[in-house]
Amino acid sequence: MTIRMLLLPVLFLVVFASVRAELDADELMKQSHLALYYAGDDGRTDVTMTIVNKRGKERLREFTMLRLDNEEGGDQKYYTYFRKPSDVSRLTFMVHKSAEANDKRWIYVPSVDLVRPISADDKASSFVNSHFTYEDVSGRHWSEDNHAIVGDSTVDGVPVVVVESTPVEDLSSFTTRRTYIDTSTYLPLREHYYDGDGTLIRVFTAETIETVSDIPTITVRKIEDVQKGGHTIVAFTGIEYNLGIGDDIFTERYLKAPPREYIGR
Amino acid sequence: MKTALVNFAINRPRWVIGIAVVITLFFAAQFPRIQIDTDPQNMLRTDEPVRLWHQETKEIFELADFLAVGVVAEEGAFTPPHLNAVYRITAEIATLDGVIVEDILAPSTVDDIRQGDAGELIIEPLMGDTIATQAEADYLLSRIVSNPILRGKLASDDGAAIALFIPIESKDISFRLAGEIQEITDRLGGDAEYHIAGLPVAEDSFGAEMFTQMALSAPLAFVIIFLLMVLFFRKAVVVLAPMIVAMMAVIWAMGLLILTGNTVHIMSSMIPVFLIPIAVLNSIHILSEFHDRFAQHDDKSTTMRHAITELFFPLLFTSLTTIAGFVSLATTPIPPVQVFGIFVAVGVLSAWLLSLTVNPAVAMLIRPESLRSFGRSDDSHGPLARVLHGFRDTAWRHYRLLIGAAVVVVAIAGYGLTLLVINDNPVKWFKADHPIRIADQTMNAHLAGTYMNFLVFEGDDIDRMKDPDVLRYMEAMQRELENEPIVGGTTGLTDIVTKIRFELFGADSAEMRLPDNLNEVGQMLFLFEMSGGSADDLYKFATSDYDMANLWVQMTAGDNQAVSDVVARGNAFLANNPPPPGVTARWAGLPYINIEWQEQMVAGMRSAFLGSFLVVLIMMIILFRSIIWGLISMLPLTITVMSIYAFIGYIGKPYDMPVAVLSALTLGLSIDFAIHFIGRLRIIHRRTGSFRESYNEIFESAGRAILRNVLVIAIGFVPMLFSSLVPYITVGVFFLSIMLVSGLVTMLLLPALVRAMHKRLLPDRATVDRPQPANVS
Repeated sequence: MTIRMLLLPVLFLVVFASVRAELDADELMKQSHLALYYAGDDGRTDVTMTIVNKRGKERLREFTMLRLDNEEGGDQKYYTYFRKPSDVSRLTFMVHKSAEANDKRWIYVPSVDLVRPISADDKASSFVNSHFTYEDVSGRHWSEDNHAIVGDSTVDGVPVVVVESTPVEDLSSFTTRRTYIDTSTYLPLREHYYDGDGTLIRVFTAETIETVSDIPTITVRKIEDVQKGGHTIVAFTGIEYNLGIGDDIFTERYLKAPPREYIGR
Repeated sequence: MKTALVNFAINRPRWVIGIAVVITLFFAAQFPRIQIDTDPQNMLRTDEPVRLWHQETKEIFELADFLAVGVVAEEGAFTPPHLNAVYRITAEIATLDGVIVEDILAPSTVDDIRQGDAGELIIEPLMGDTIATQAEADYLLSRIVSNPILRGKLASDDGAAIALFIPIESKDISFRLAGEIQEITDRLGGDAEYHIAGLPVAEDSFGAEMFTQMALSAPLAFVIIFLLMVLFFRKAVVVLAPMIVAMMAVIWAMGLLILTGNTVHIMSSMIPVFLIPIAVLNSIHILSEFHDRFAQHDDKSTTMRHAITELFFPLLFTSLTTIAGFVSLATTPIPPVQVFGIFVAVGVLSAWLLSLTVNPAVAMLIRPESLRSFGRSDDSHGPLARVLHGFRDTAWRHYRLLIGAAVVVVAIAGYGLTLLVINDNPVKWFKADHPIRIADQTMNAHLAGTYMNFLVFEGDDIDRMKDPDVLRYMEAMQRELENEPIVGGTTGLTDIVTKIRFELFGADSAEMRLPDNLNEVGQMLFLFEMSGGSADDLYKFATSDYDMANLWVQMTAGDNQAVSDVVARGNAFLANNPPPPGVTARWAGLPYINIEWQEQMVAGMRSAFLGSFLVVLIMMIILFRSIIWGLISMLPLTITVMSIYAFIGYIGKPYDMPVAVLSALTLGLSIDFAIHFIGRLRIIHRRTGSFRESYNEIFESAGRAILRNVLVIAIGFVPMLFSSLVPYITVGVFFLSIMLVSGLVTMLLLPALVRAMHKRLLPDRATVDRPQPANVS
């Protein structure tokens, strides 16, 4: 009887502690998500993407991206203007990201002067055939995974919290992910993706972090396909935040006629 | 030397047998290290440009060898139950070890390019989930039929057949995988028919069945030959020696082949089958002589000495000519054929040495009392004798007619040779009722084909393949190649670009064409990638730099002749319509490699055969020290080769690798009878001095041995006619025909010719001093 009496508060403490840890992990992932994908209220950047296949062959893509946050952590709009390779120069691409419904995507094909919606069913599919998925570009909402803090560590001397996430719904792309979050900026410095066998399949690395308009920003990002080989590096330049980009920019009209004030330089 | 060797065998029989057994055990110990190789690619040297290029093509476009699984339901395979079974089967196949999962082509894995409800371009798996209604199933078929990338490949237009293409990590696991896939389709396949085809399965299965055949036909021939010899010589204990000699020769040759690190290829698997008769032939002559003389001398060592003395040169030369025939194969540019030729030659040499030593040694160890009745039986009245006397009298009486008949046969055969069709297809190494042949036939009747060649276009700069001129050229090439009856379909970058354009313009068939400028091509391809199309799929048709493109040419037949036609048509198109500047095209693919090595083989075999024919002729002239005798001795060989190959030409059997290689066997075997016949005839004539007497006697000595040989070898290889593998049947038929034709020519035409020219060839010495009976030792 006495033992049981003693155990009860201990048990309560354990349950409480784990609930607290879970809350912390969720909150941490939310902060990290906002730091990475919702910096400022809007933004622009020039992107140089180097895709290296498993045999070391390189391909280059250059584009400019505009982003507008309609709601912090919620709906967003993206506008992409391609410069290279030269045969896709002037091609534009737009995403209306929705927190509740499926995203919507449109593409403008200049050679035939047509705007077409394109399918957005699979967020885990590759973005312009790089090792980045659509999700890597515009973010995987933190509520889609269950999170747990599994420990503290350091990445290149920077203290990090390690969060392990498992998708709420079964996915084919990964089974678990470990995120190494910088405790001061909330930026993820590393992400390790594992499959069902616990094999490491892909790695995200924040290669360079700079502070732009007081906002810590990962300016060089790398994703490596550990299983098949090959990687993609994206470098951001010309980053600007809080430009006051209007909602009308993200419409079909501007797909055909890119907004000079943000693109034309 | 010959006396020393034979004396040693006669005086120290236990030593001879002991040494032979030790050597045999040493070679037999090599057997566990045997390596089987059935890859027809190895018909070409590893550094052969064609082969290197094929390998490079596979690497550049990340292509794998594949198995083709066919699902056939004549009443329609596009029904929910069949499709859902295919769905589950595909999923299970994906779990098998050695399958390249991401490259599987099946309804549930290939992407369809289509327009969604909102006019959006969608690239997603054709069959995303299980199918519930017939309408969904019909829709699936309509999507395949309307997609130039999938049409005919994934399903037949009538919906009776579905194909799954299973890429595999290496060809040598195809047999295992085919078995595992078979297990899955048996379990989940329902009432549809499932077939497994593709060159890799055929090749790898051949290797597996080859083992069974090797373990079956050689021992079976061995047993039958043994029984026939017991029947002829009526003493099992005496017949044992030749069988031991044959077995040892086989073990020596195969042991050395394995010891020297050579792989056992389709041809070398037949070495035992080739060696047994050749080895037995020598021994039959010795035994025959021993048997026929034993009653006369009644002493083992005298009889044996006499037999070997009289036979030494004929045996030496029959072995040397056989060796010459097979060694000539080493001059062909085909490594497995070289190995085969060299090691048959090694075996023949071993057999010769062993038959001169082990035969007498074993004879010495036989207790005299068990030989008491040996050779006593009267051979001059049996059925064998009646046949022999028939030949003797016919050749004597109708010699003019026989010579005339021979001329006619040569003329008819000469024409037949022009009808020979050079052709090969590893799938056809199996009999028509073999599951692999049935799979091949069924699938190729319904679908675009299980044989794949690649035509690789190379440009001088990146993005060259996006040039509309280059694409239009490629498209023209596709239409041209599709005129060939066996080309079931071609797929290239052109089709992907055209299909995207078509769907982009709302499935407007007027827009189903190639773009007019490079940017548009680039944007169509970009659209493909942006819409969910996989880069891995794209890069099977073009490099990521678009400096090279790969045109898939799918064919319903793998016969080298038909494949050659396709290649020739493509090459002619390239020659007559030069591609845009800076662009070149080259072929790759397994069927293409097969035609390449076949061309090399045919040319190589021709010169090898002609070369060894000349060598044998020179050897004959040296042996008989006479040009005329040398020429006469070549007749059985010439007529045999001509009539067998003419027969092949008349019945339309393709001249394939086994048939080509068998010319060496024909050369080696058919000269033997002439050597024995003429050699012995001249020895006898030296003794008798009377042509009539010599003529009669030759039929009783060499004639009887030859007839025994014909029967033993011809009947001994009848079991091979029931093999499931065509090359083995071919070999069996060849043994039979070589024996029958060269036996007949030796027993009829040679005596007829000698009779016609005997005044010059074997003049009677009645007028000269009659010499002492020959003492030739």
